[in-house]
Parts: sequence; C-alpha cells; structure tokens
Amino acid sequence: MRPGALVGWWAVLTAVLLGLLSGFRGFPAAAAREAAVADHAFRFLLLLATPVFALVVAVLTYSVVARRGKGDPPEPPPYVPEHPWVARAWFAATAALAAYVIYNPGLVGLAEMRGVPVSAVWTGASSGVRLASLAGADGDLVVRVRASRWLWQFEYPDQQVTSRELVLPVGRRVRFEVTSVDIVHSFWVPAFRTKIDAVPNLTTFLHVTPTRTGSFEQTVDLRVQCAELCGVGHAIMAAPVRVVEPEAFDAWVAQQGRR
Amino acid sequence: MRALVPVLKGLGYGVAGYVLGGPALGAVVRAAGLGFSFDLELVTGSLVGTVGWLAGVGVWEVWARGWFGLPLRPWPDEEGVARYFRFTTDHKVIGIQYLVTFLGLLFLGGALAMLMRWELMRPGMQLLTMNGFNQVMSLHGIIMIAVAVAIFLGGLGNYCVPLMIGAHDMAFPRVNALSYWLTPPVAVLLLASLLVGGWDSGWTAYPPLSEVNAPGQVLMIVAVVIFGLSSILGGINFLVTIARMRAPGLTWSRLPIFVWSVFAASLLSFVFTQYLAASLLMVLLDRVAGMSYFHFARGGTPVVYQQLFWFYSHPAVYIMILPAFGAALEVITHFARTPLYAYRWVVGAFLGIVGLSAIVWAHHNFTSGMPDWMHAPMMATTEAISVPTGLVFLAALGTLVRGRLWLRTPMLFALGWVWNFLIGGITGIFNADVATDLHLHDTYFVVGHFHYTIMGGEIFALLAALYYWYPKITGRMYDEGLGRLHFWWTFLAFNATFLPMFWVGVHGMNRRIADYPAALGDLNWWISLAAFALGASFLVFLYNFVVSWVRGPRAEANPWQASTLEWQVPSPPPVENFPAPPVVVGVPYGYGIPGARHAAFGAAGGSEEA
Repeated sequence: MRPGALVGWWAVLTAVLLGLLSGFRGFPAAAAREAAVADHAFRFLLLLATPVFALVVAVLTYSVVARRGKGDPPEPPPYVPEHPWVARAWFAATAALAAYVIYNPGLVGLAEMRGVPVSAVWTGASSGVRLASLAGADGDLVVRVRASRWLWQFEYPDQQVTSRELVLPVGRRVRFEVTSVDIVHSFWVPAFRTKIDAVPNLTTFLHVTPTRTGSFEQTVDLRVQCAELCGVGHAIMAAPVRVVEPEAFDAWVAQQGRR
Repeated sequence: MRALVPVLKGLGYGVAGYVLGGPALGAVVRAAGLGFSFDLELVTGSLVGTVGWLAGVGVWEVWARGWFGLPLRPWPDEEGVARYFRFTTDHKVIGIQYLVTFLGLLFLGGALAMLMRWELMRPGMQLLTMNGFNQVMSLHGIIMIAVAVAIFLGGLGNYCVPLMIGAHDMAFPRVNALSYWLTPPVAVLLLASLLVGGWDSGWTAYPPLSEVNAPGQVLMIVAVVIFGLSSILGGINFLVTIARMRAPGLTWSRLPIFVWSVFAASLLSFVFTQYLAASLLMVLLDRVAGMSYFHFARGGTPVVYQQLFWFYSHPAVYIMILPAFGAALEVITHFARTPLYAYRWVVGAFLGIVGLSAIVWAHHNFTSGMPDWMHAPMMATTEAISVPTGLVFLAALGTLVRGRLWLRTPMLFALGWVWNFLIGGITGIFNADVATDLHLHDTYFVVGHFHYTIMGGEIFALLAALYYWYPKITGRMYDEGLGRLHFWWTFLAFNATFLPMFWVGVHGMNRRIADYPAALGDLNWWISLAAFALGASFLVFLYNFVVSWVRGPRAEANPWQASTLEWQVPSPPPVENFPAPPVVVGVPYGYGIPGARHAAFGAAGGSEEA
C-alpha cells in the first residue's frame, strides 16, 4: 500500500469538490436576517463536510482499484497488526471536529438566529416559549398568527388590523405570536428560513427581521406554508407574504382600517 | 393445502374473536344502556381477535393448554413446508417466516411509494385525492418503519445469531415464536384500517390530529402496540440468548460483530419500546375514554406527546441501523479477506450509540415550541453521535484498505452502504444544527436524509446480508450476474431518486404534501421517474431469489470460505444446528493470521478442525 497515493487522491478530491462548492448558489430567495444566518451556516457545514466526504470516497475508490484481489476467493493478505495510534488519532480527530461543529455553526448559529450572545443559548434567555408576561417586550411589530384547518390569519394588535395576507415592513424586527385553534400546524416562510409550530393551548414565539422587499407574486418562497401534517388540506395551507417599505406598510394599515 | 390449516384456523378464530370482542360486546353493552363507542369496539375487537389468531395458529395446542392443566398436544415434527405455516420454535424457521413476511411488506410499502411518486410527478392532483394521498403516505411510513425494525432482528438475527454463537436455538423458543406470530395481526390491522376510513396522520400520529381523524387511527394504534410487544419480547430473547448461550470459548471479545450489533439493538428495543406504547395509549385514552392528555378542546398539551414519542422513536432508528452496521462490517471483513479493523473500537462505538441515543430525542422538536434551553444540549448530543458512527466508518475503511477485496454481490452492496450512509450521515449534521434545521425541518431535505440512512444504509446492508447468507439459508446459490445487475440498478436509481430531494427540500418543498408549488415540477418529475426505476430494480431481486431458491445450484456448506461458525455446518443447517458441539478457540476473523482458527468441533470421541 502506498499511503502517499491515497493522501494525494484525497487532496485532489477535496480541492475539486471545494472548487465546485465555491460557486454554490443553490438557495431559494432570502428575505430576512435569519435567512442569511441559516444560509451561512449551511454553506459552512458544506465546507466542513467536504474533506470528510472526500476522505471516505478516496479510501473507498482507492480500495476498489488498488486492493482488488484475484481468485475466488482471493488469498488473504499477510496480517499486519493494527497500529494502536491510528484508531486513537481517528477518535481524537472526529471528536475534535464534532466539538467544533457543535460550537460553530452550532451554538454560534443558534445565537445569531435568536439574536442573543452565545452564552444565552444555554439558559433559554432567547425566544421560543416564554412567559406571556414578557409578550411584546421585544420586537418592533407584533403579529399574532392564528392557524386553523386550513387557514392562516394574521392579526396586528397594535394596528388593529386582521388579514389573510402577511404584510411586513422591511427592516423591522417582527415578533410572531403563534397559536392554533385546533390541531398542530407549523408557521414556515421558506424565504425567512425558519419556522415554529402553531400549537393549540400554547403560544409560541418567533422573531424575524425582513431585509428585502418582495412578494409571493415574485417568488413562491415568500409564502406562509404549513409544515406540520394537518390532514386533508395540509399541502395547500398557504398564505401569501409581502415585504414592503415602511411607508407602504403604513398605507396598507390605513387602507385595511378603512374597510 | 393441509399445510395451511393452522393459518386458516388462526384466521377463523381471529375473525370470530373480533366479532365477539368488538361488535357483539358493543351491542350487549349498549343494550344494557351504557356507552360503547365504535373506536372502543375496534380496540376490544382487535385485541380479542389477535388472541384468537394466536390460539388458532397453534399457541393453544402446544403451549396454552398447559396453563389450564390440560395435557399439551405433541409438537408436530419439524420437517417439510408445513412448519413455516404454524406456531413452531426452530429459530431458523422463525427467521425465514420473518424474512418472507417482512420482504412482502417491503414490496407492499414500495408499491405505495410508487403511488405517491405517481401523484407527485406533476403539480396538481392527478391520481389520488388529498385525503387518499395522506392515507397512502401514512401507510407507506408505518409499514416501512415496521419492516426496518423487524426484518434485521427478527429475520437475520433469528436465523443467524444462534448459529453464529454455536447455540442450538434461542433462549426462549416459544416466546420467539410468539414474537413472530404477533406480527401478522399487525399487518392485517394496518391494512384493515383502510376499511374504516384509514388514517392520515403519518407514522408519527401526532395528536390532536390523531384524535380527531377517522377510526382507522385506532387500528393503527392497536397494531403498533402489538408490534411493540413483539419487539420487546424479541429484544429480551436476543439479550438472554447472546449473554447465556454462547459456545464454550466464545468470549465477548471473540463475538462476531453482527452478534454484537444485534445485542446492542436488542438493548434499545427492550428499554425504549414501551415509551412508544405509552404515548400511543395516551392518544387512545383521549379518543375512547375522554381523557385530556393532548386534546385541544379539553386543554391538552400536544407537545408532550412529541417528547414522549421521540424518546422511543429516535432510539428506534438505531434499532434499525445497528444490525445494519454489524452486517455490513461482517460482509466487508469476510470479503476483504482480512480481520475486522478496530474491532474493539467498533464494539465500544455500538455501546456508545446505545447510550447517546437515549439523550438526543428532542432534535426532532427544534420547531415544536419546546423550551428554548433544550435546543443547545440536544444539538450537542446529536452531533456527538457522529463520533461513534465515525468509528464504524474507521472499521469499514481500515478493513477495506488493508484487504484483498472479493467483489461479489454482497460486497458490492456493502460498499454501496458506505457511500449511502456517508451521505445520510453528513446530511444528518444539517438537521442536527439548529440554525439550518429551523428551515430544513419537515422538508424533503429530511425525507432525503432518512431515506439515505434507512434505505441507503439499512436496506443496502440488508441486501448485502441477504445475498451473503442466501446460500446458508436456502441451500442454493443465487445468480451472480443478476445479483450484480440488481446492485448497479438499485444503487444508481436510489441515488438518482433521493439526491435531488435535498435540493427540493432546501427550495421549499415540505414533506407529506399531496401537491407542491409548480416551480418544483421538473425536479419532481425526475424524482418520480428515478423512483419507478428504483422500484423496478427490486423485481430483479425478487426474480433472482425466488427462481434460485427453486432451481439454483446446490450451495456448499461454506461457499465464501468464511471463518465464522454458521459456515461450518451444512447449508441449510440441520434442525439441531450443530451435530457436534462447537468449541471456540480463537478470534472470529483470523484471515491471514498464521495458525488462527475460530472454532473446533468436539464430538464425544474426538475433535475435527474447522
């Protein structure tokens, strides 16, 4: 066996795959701060996974090409005792890599997603389920999302508006307060890259800061899609999303109020 | 035809039990002026029916009569085709019963997948209604879960483990038979659910949906609870068998790696299955007894179900994959003609996976509204599982790179397993990472991931193992050319089907939907075509196995010149397994080690070397 050939093959494969991935633009439309965080984490995980993937594929292909035996069955190769440090080194390297991935993008990405310091993700001092007394304390705009079979309804309590279309002003941190009146649904906007279940008898929270204007008519990624199986109408339980300039949002509110 | 008498009797007693325990009991209770819902009728009916089935297939005559002080009927003799159709204790017969039953269910589940892919080929609704799609999807899910849980342990575990450890049977042969004969009612109840409206909540059966849908849900719950009982009994049996019935000299450090993997999976099956039953029984009590665990109108807390459910159902994926790890490594070491690399590390990895699997469940719940502090620890434990899994890869790669590879069909499938599980494992990190999972959760990215691990990982390892042990089990040799055709066809079609699913998942296609945005139409058309090719590839497998079993050339005792015990007896092995009791004297995979041997056979007067 020539370890040099194997290492070279691994290096070439890694380089080729990294080259292919460097041009990776395979994400749907991104329209929120959270989407940038998720896409960054996704891309970073792809980069970290590349040498691992390439190592296994390199050994696999090398073995099939260079270690193929002759005969039915092939004569066993002379036994060479295992070097104890190989497994130890493998264990240490994979443990170190796992520890790093847990830290970054794991904890770092979770903290960025929630908009809190890394230390806060252990204590739960970010969003998710929170005491109702804290409701409205963070976020520039509150939207109450009410899911039912198979409809979405969006209530803007401060604006006293209720709508079947989700209209959001760009650049403001939106606090969604999500609940369901019947069974479990899930509030998901693909262009925001985040979701939270709508659960009966419970209010769940999700924070999103839209960063780009756009509408469902421009991209289907700007839709609220139910992501938890909820029966007959699950597939078509969707609502259009529109992210607009703040002035346009105010105009929309005023128009809704008149109706 | 006489061979079918016990099964027909079981069916008759089963139907009679259903009628007496269900509709008749319901009518009597209602006549007495008390309430008895249709849901409850289904529960009592299917439980009494299952007891009737068991009595009919032979439990009454050879076992249960004794509980009432009645003389037992003699066991029918253990030869001939008839033994496959009645309650019998030979682990080899039970292994074949499991394999044939669950391969049949695998084909049924695959056919349901074809229906789904036909519907998803184009945006809009063509073949099914939305409700029909949800039912087909749910049935596909639960059938494949049952196959994945039972086919390795119940099928190959039963057939091979006693042979590999030099035992004459399992520790509790009648309990073993009971484990198997509990499974046909599971299949019947799941299919019968379609007669009472089916159910549309997927295999996960999340309430409150599973409390307000059609009565078919009740049959699904009863079926899964019965299946769980079968799993627990099987788990206990393997643990005791492996702990207590190893041949003299077969120490834990000489145990073939497949046996180790069955031991680890059985631990999980024994410890965790009850949580699935508990969670489903709570749903059932909400439905039939007016309890308020999860029901929205009675102040229930549905997220609790998701915690309880996944406390079993995540370990369950390791019940599926651990025996696959063991079988793939078993095939790799025999066909690389060299000892298994890092054997002790792999054993440690299996036990590490058993331990870690208990503390990762809530990674299924990152978007469920559970308390936020749980996200970070569950992500950390989940990603830590990549370390023991990495050791399984070390063993596979270390063995391959030091070996002289014999590229027969079992080895091809084992190599395919390495590739598929590599992709399944890497994409698992994206699901474990909260920042990426909030988007990917419940999308086709997850569908791609778990099909890469369970179909690409477990089923590919299963096929490797089936081709490997086929000559031992049937006494015939399969056709090598067709085997290779099957491998390449399945491998390419599998990757062509499931690789694009990661893409459509990222691009906003959520799972369990009958329809999707038109923009994803082209890729779905491709996925459907590839899926049909994948389905068709299994016909090659079916043809090869059926025809070779009838007409294939007789297999030698040890066509692979493999070192482990099951190959040192004739193919197929005699009823008593080992005419001369084996004594284990060395490591299981001594290829290339001068003077190494695994076992000797000591008859009363002398010994014959293996």
